[in-house]
Order: sequence, then structure tokens, then C-alpha cells
Amino acid sequence: MGQGKSQFTEEELQDYEDLTYFTKKEVLYAHQKFKALAPEKVGHNKNAKLPMAKVLQYPELRVNPFRDRICKVFSSSNDGDCTFEDFLDMMSVFSENAPKAVKAEHAFRIFDFDGDDMIGVSDLREVIERLCGSELKLSDSEIQQLVQSVLEEADLDDDGALSFAEFEHIIDKSSDFCHSFRIRL
Amino acid sequence: MQHNENFLFNNFAVKNIATKIKKMEDKGENIEMNTSSARRAYTLRNNVARQVAVNFMPSRQIAHNTLRMRRVNSEHNALLDALTDAPDAVEQQADIIVREMEQHQLLMEDNPMSEELRREALRDLPQCMTMKRNVRAKLSASVSLRSKRRPISFFKRLKYRVSFAWKRTRDKFRDFIFSIELWYEAIRNIEGHLGSAVGSYFHLLRWLFGLNLLLSALLISFVVVPQALHDQAGNSTNELGVLDFISGRGGLEHTLLFYGHYHDSEIDTPGPVHYYMPFAYFYTMLCLYLMFFAVLCYRTAYSYRRNFIEPSGGHSAFSHLLAAKLFCGWDFGIASPAGAALAAHALYLEFKELLNERNRNQMATSVWVRAWQRMANVLVTMLVLAIIVGIQYGLWLLLAVEELTDNREIYISLAITAVVGVCPMLLSFIVKLEYYEARTAFYVTLARTWLLDIGTLVILLVYWSRSGDECWETRVGQEGYRLVILDVLVSLLLIPSVEFVRGMLFKWSVLGKAPAFDITYNSLTLIYNQSVLWLGMLFSPLLVVAVTLKFLLLFYVKRESALRMCQTSKKVWRAAQTQTVLYMLVTLSLFTTLFAVGSLFLRSSSQTCGPFRRYEHVFAIVSEGLLRLSERDALRAVLHFFVRPGPIAFVLLGLCVGVYIMRARSAAQRSMAGILRQMLRLQAKDKDFLLSAIEKVSNGEWLYSPKPEDYGADSHTWKYLNEVRKPSNAGFHFDGSRLSHSFLERPKSYVKETRPTSYHTERPKSHEDGDTDSSFSWQGSSSYLNQKDDAEEKR
Repeated sequence: MGQGKSQFTEEELQDYEDLTYFTKKEVLYAHQKFKALAPEKVGHNKNAKLPMAKVLQYPELRVNPFRDRICKVFSSSNDGDCTFEDFLDMMSVFSENAPKAVKAEHAFRIFDFDGDDMIGVSDLREVIERLCGSELKLSDSEIQQLVQSVLEEADLDDDGALSFAEFEHIIDKSSDFCHSFRIRL
Repeated sequence: MQHNENFLFNNFAVKNIATKIKKMEDKGENIEMNTSSARRAYTLRNNVARQVAVNFMPSRQIAHNTLRMRRVNSEHNALLDALTDAPDAVEQQADIIVREMEQHQLLMEDNPMSEELRREALRDLPQCMTMKRNVRAKLSASVSLRSKRRPISFFKRLKYRVSFAWKRTRDKFRDFIFSIELWYEAIRNIEGHLGSAVGSYFHLLRWLFGLNLLLSALLISFVVVPQALHDQAGNSTNELGVLDFISGRGGLEHTLLFYGHYHDSEIDTPGPVHYYMPFAYFYTMLCLYLMFFAVLCYRTAYSYRRNFIEPSGGHSAFSHLLAAKLFCGWDFGIASPAGAALAAHALYLEFKELLNERNRNQMATSVWVRAWQRMANVLVTMLVLAIIVGIQYGLWLLLAVEELTDNREIYISLAITAVVGVCPMLLSFIVKLEYYEARTAFYVTLARTWLLDIGTLVILLVYWSRSGDECWETRVGQEGYRLVILDVLVSLLLIPSVEFVRGMLFKWSVLGKAPAFDITYNSLTLIYNQSVLWLGMLFSPLLVVAVTLKFLLLFYVKRESALRMCQTSKKVWRAAQTQTVLYMLVTLSLFTTLFAVGSLFLRSSSQTCGPFRRYEHVFAIVSEGLLRLSERDALRAVLHFFVRPGPIAFVLLGLCVGVYIMRARSAAQRSMAGILRQMLRLQAKDKDFLLSAIEKVSNGEWLYSPKPEDYGADSHTWKYLNEVRKPSNAGFHFDGSRLSHSFLERPKSYVKETRPTSYHTERPKSHEDGDTDSSFSWQGSSSYLNQKDDAEEKR
């Protein structure tokens, strides 16, 4: 994979290998995938910035209910547009080798829609609505009940919202998080 | 675990407070400004000072804590901007991170070891790449600035060099693994369509395939090839019939395939090298079995720890079932729109079900109903066990029937294959009669099926070893061979064609619902095959090759049938724990096989065939062949002493005591976790309370003096001040504050009574009336504050 004339020098690859959870080959492979999103643009400039709509062409992102949040969280310009480095960051966090803590940190940001550093009632509602998809809708009271139950379970200090520590606690206790919060390259 | 709790403890309380206070203020005083931007602006203006104070609290100074990402779009960052007013926020943040990393002596040394540590710390930094680069540049500058170039000793240099070489090899190895990783795209594709639960079946398949490939390579090179070389010398050809090919008898019996054929002394080799076949056979097998047993045990234990023990820490009452569903429910690996729609549907159903369950739980089931459910479970379990024993007894009788024709072995194997193929379905139907939760039901079915499979195999082994056949080992080998061959027909032809037909029926919309990929059944087939292999490998070395080939084919067949004919299941599947259970079953099969074969080998060995025909029993190859016990009396005496019941009972007793101690410790830790959790809750409240108290003081509200006529004799505050806090009652406080237990286990209602003003317990109310009753509430809580101070003094 990624043989032939590579767009990267050895130093750049080493740099990426140091800063992400990927090996050099995987970095090259990731770049292929990135290039496939917009062959001309990336072929011209290997670190080109792609608009969010283009990045969302990536199969796993396309169907993900939190796709716009993911792009925004990883975009270095905060508007959802991603350069290759942002994309590599994203894939590195979603890769198998990333530790739980790093994944949890990013997951927290993804689920924190209003950006107030807490997952509050409105965030939880949003999560539930997005998870159930566009066709089936839970009724308002059902969502209310779900949110209430989640807070009962996980809101250790009764402040009506989940802080990062509480969120991390949930993640720690769930065996499936690393399985589900993963996108293969 | 404890560390974890502690960390949470520190991390958490303070972290919340700032945000919480902001929220309270927003609710109380800032109702008219409810757009988020206005809110943020307000918060910023007023909370900078307090935020700074909070940032300087001790728990904030823990480096690990502060290395957390500063959220780029949250108040944190806004705060930084406001504080510094610098145009370049990234630069500033990098500075902060560097400063925090500099606190760690270990990270900042100028040697390769801490360079490696730095690299890892950087990589784990949840920041974007530009930031990481920035931090790295600053860090290395800082390191070179403070380094005091000391000469490194030769030993240290060697250590570094070795560790570097090791690291580089590991990286290379990972790189290499990535480029040869088998079926990478295929499995990714399947996961994209059907979710990672189905993917886990294919991972298991791939893993077993890799394992068997390794096994076959080793067995062929150490056992089969030498024997083949030996065979070349004395050439003999056999005729092969078609049925022989299935039954493994006739022309195939005296081939490399089976135990009986292997040579019992040295292989003739040109040159001075001696190759003693019994040794080769025995030790290769022993090493392989033990090696794979160790690997399997390690892997199972690791996965068990990660998926069962770690998540279950703490009190069972604090399960995060729903919260975990919410945040870990979406499988990020799903890539196809159809799969995504199904996954969303499954989650929807799951939520509905959870809600129903919650509502149902509130209606307590009566004792009689529960008693009936228990009874039913026990009865059905007994019934199932009876059926399993019955099947095995029937098998035994069938084996003993002599009158059948020449091909009776084939019929028997066919019967076994049929039983093994049908019973899982039957058992998964039976379990529906019982009252288990879905998860327990699944595990129960797995356990029962496994019991049936392994029981059948052990019965075969025992039957042949007692049959008085001249070469019973070969018979067992043949049995294994037949089972594997016949199972090829089932899992490569029959099941895929059933799936195909079902899929087609669905496509022509004859069937209402699409067939789901049955992970349980398919995984059980794999485990059954592997069990047969564990048993048969010893008596038929080439069986490994057959199973490996079969798994190879199976992968492609299953992939096609999964992608073309199946859909995601309607249930949300918890893959991690299921996978652990599957690994556990593979390990248990191997353990049972080792146990059964080991105890047989202690007793007997065929005298007319096989590599061990010269020995009285197979383990004599160790005692006589290797250790020569008959010549060494002292060694024999020592060994005899150790295998007497006394020492063994002693060891067993020791193990029991060890287990007991471990259990007690884990129970203690669990209760400790519960206590800590309670304390956490209280501490968070206390800190919150204190911070708001400070704020009140700084706003000058403390000067507000309580007016005694404000409350009548029936008010809680009055009661509190005059009765509970009477000097004669001081002992109550003393206990309450000194003994954390009594303080902690105080019922919640009581908390509400004594602290009528707490922002949390009364939150909805205070939300409604705003700040109108703040004067009253403040008096109450000020006395609470006093009480706290008292407690502090007494301490």
C-alpha cells in the first residue's frame, strides 16, 4: 500500500508516526483514503483543506448520527472543514490503538453539543434523538424519562448534568466503548 | 481500581463547581438573557476571577488532570483569551501545557528513556496536531536548556540501546503486521454492513485460523516430515476407496494421518544426527498443547478482566446500563446506510424495552411469581441436563452395537454431527420457556451447548480407550477425522444453502423478516470444531491441516452469505463480553481435553501401534526415557513423595486459602468503592456549598444578620438551632462528623430536612421562586456552616 512515489518525505512520516497511533504504512493508507475523498485537490496539495461536506463522504462518517459534531471537534478551524492532519487526528483517535482516556475525551466533546463542558439535559436529549434516527421518534415524555434515568444512574453529584469525570466513569465501566467507538482505517 | 476512584474523586468535585455556579447564576439572576452567547458573555465577565481561583485549587494542580484538553470552544479557552488578551491563543495554550509537563521530573530528563516518555505523553495529549507540534518544540527547547550533560555509563547506554532496538523492532513488526493483515478489507466491509458484533465472529474465525496455521506448521515440520522421510525408505502403497476417504479407515488407516502409523524408534538419517521419533512426537505435542493453553489462558483472563471485572467495579446498584447504552450504543464502524438504519431501529427498540422494564420493575412481582419462575428455571435445567445425559448414554449404546454393517462408524459420526448441529437450535428454543434475562439466557444456552459438545467428545474418547481395540488411539483419531469431514458438509454446504434459501425467500418477500446472522450458532460451530481438533490432534497430527483448510474456506463462504443474505440483527449485541465468553469456551475445551487425555496417558498405551508402543504407559517416556527413574533412586523417591495425597492436599488447601483471601479483599474493595462514591457526592455538595458561601461573603451578604422573630417554633431552622444544636446534644454532632459511616448512611430524607436550602435537593423549587427566599435560606445554611466548623474543630 502506498508504494510508488509517495507525497511524503521520510521525516514527515516519522513525525506523523510520533504524533499519532499509526505506523508509517497506516499513515500512507490513511492518506490514500483521504485522497479518495477529493482526488484532484489532495493530489495537488497533500494537506489540502476539504469542506465538511466532502469529509462526510467518508463511508463511516456518512451514516454516523454525530457526523457534523465529529468533524467540528476534529477540525482545527472549528468549522468542520478538515485538513489531512485533522483527518489523521480523527482516524488516530478512532483507531484501535488509541487509549480509552483519549477516546473518552473526544467522545465527550462530540456529545457536548452546546459546548458548555457539561453534558446537560439538552445534550442528552439530542443524543437520544440522533441515535434513534429520523424515522422513528420517541415521544417527548419517553425521552424525558430516559434522560431522567440516565441522570439517576450517572450523575454522581446530583447537579443535573454529566461532567467529564462522570462521563469518564461511565466509559470506564462500559466494556463496549472501545469496541463501538472505533473506525477502522 | 482504588486509584481510579481517587482520581475521580479529586478530578471531579472541583471541576464541576465552576460550571455549576455559572449555571446557578444563570438560572437565578440572568433569566432574561437566555441565548447561549449572551450567557457566555455574562459568565465570562463575572467568573474569570473565580475560575482562576478554582484553577489554583490543589486538585486542579495535578498534572494529569490539567493535561486534559482545554476545550477550544468552551469557557476555558475563552477564559484564557480573556486573561491574556493574546492574539495567539494556540501559543498560550501550548505554554500552559508545557508548563504542566515540566512539573514531571521523569518527563524532563535528557535521556532517551524520558524522550520516549515525552513522545508517549505527547501522543496521548488530546489536542490537534498543530498543538502537539508546538508543545513538542517548546518541550525540547526546555529540555535542552535544563540538561546538564552528564556522561552516561556504559551500562545505561547499553540499556537505552537495547530498549530502542526493541521499540524499533516492535514498530517494524506492527508495520509488517499491518501490511500482511489477513482479510483486513473483508472484515472491515462486513463490519461496515453488519456491525462489529458480526465482525467479532469473523475475528474469532481469523484468530482460530491463524492459530491453527501456526500449529500445522509446527506439527508438520517436527512430526510429519521426519516420518515421511522415514516412510520413503520402505515404500508401501495402499489402495483408497471413496468411503475410506470419509471414514478414514481402510487405505487411509496406515498413513501419516494417524497415530498408529508413527514410528517407535529412531528415524534413519544420513549423517550423525539422531531423530528419536517417540520423543519428537511426545514433546512436540506437549509443547504445543501447553503453549496454546498458556496463550489461551492469558488471552481469556485478559479479556475477562477488561470486560467483566473492570466494568463491574463498585456497587451493583450503581450500574450504568442506560448511560452506557446511550454513549456506547452507536457502532461507529457501521458504514452502509441500510446498516445504519437498522442500527438506529435496534437502538430505538432497545430504549423502548429499557423504559418498559423500568416501568415494570416498579410493579413488584409477588413472591409466588418469583418462586414459580425459579422453580421453572430449575426444572427446565434439570430436564436439559437429563436430555444431554440421555443423548450421551444413547451414543454409548450405539457405539456398543456390533451388528451394524461395515460402515457403522460413518453412521455413528453422522448421528453425532446431526445431534451437534440440531441441538443448539433446540436448546435456544428451550431457553425461551425459562425466565431469564436475555443475556443470561444467551450464556445459559452457550454453556449447555458446550456441555453437550464436549461431553460427546469425551464419551468417544472414553469408549475407544476402553474398547480393547489393538490401536484405540488411531480409532479416536479416525473419529475426529470423520467428525471434521462430515462437519464440512454441514457448515460449508448445508447451512449456507439454508441461509441462501431464506435470503431468497426474503427477497421475493415470502418471508416477512430478513434472516439475521446468527452469531451464537456460528460461533458455537467454530468452538465445536476447535474442540474436535484439540482432541483429535494428538491422535491424528494432520487433522490440524484439515481444520485449517476448512476455516479458510469457511471464511469465504460465510463472508458471502453474510454480505449477501443476512442483515443486522434487531438486537443490540454486546460484543465485548460475548467474545470473552467464546474465548473462555475454547480454553475450557482445551482444558477438558488435556485433562482427559492426560489421565488416560497415565494409565495406558497401545502395545502394538504408535510411537509409544515400547512404553508401558505414555508418561513412561518422561519417567524412563528422559529422567531414567529406574536408575536414579533418590529422584524417584522425591517425585514419589510429591505425588502422594498429602502434599497435593496441602497445595490444594493453600490455593483455597489464597482464593479466600482474594475474595475477601475484593469484597472489601467493593465496599470501599461504595463508601468513596458516597463521600464523593457529599464532598461535591460541600465544596459547592462553600464556594457559594464565599461568594455570598464577598458580595457582602454575610452582614445580613438573622432575625430571631423571623421563624416560629415550628420552623425547621428554629428546631435545628434550639434542639439539635443544644450543647447537651453535642455528642450527636460529634458522632455525626467523626464517624463517616453514620454520616454517610444517613437517609436522604434526613438530609433534606436538615438542609432545607441546599441547591440540589431543593433545586426545582429554588428554580421556581428565584431568589425570593434567599434570606431565609441563607440563615439556615449559615448555621449548617457553623456546624461544619464545629466538626472541624473537634477533629
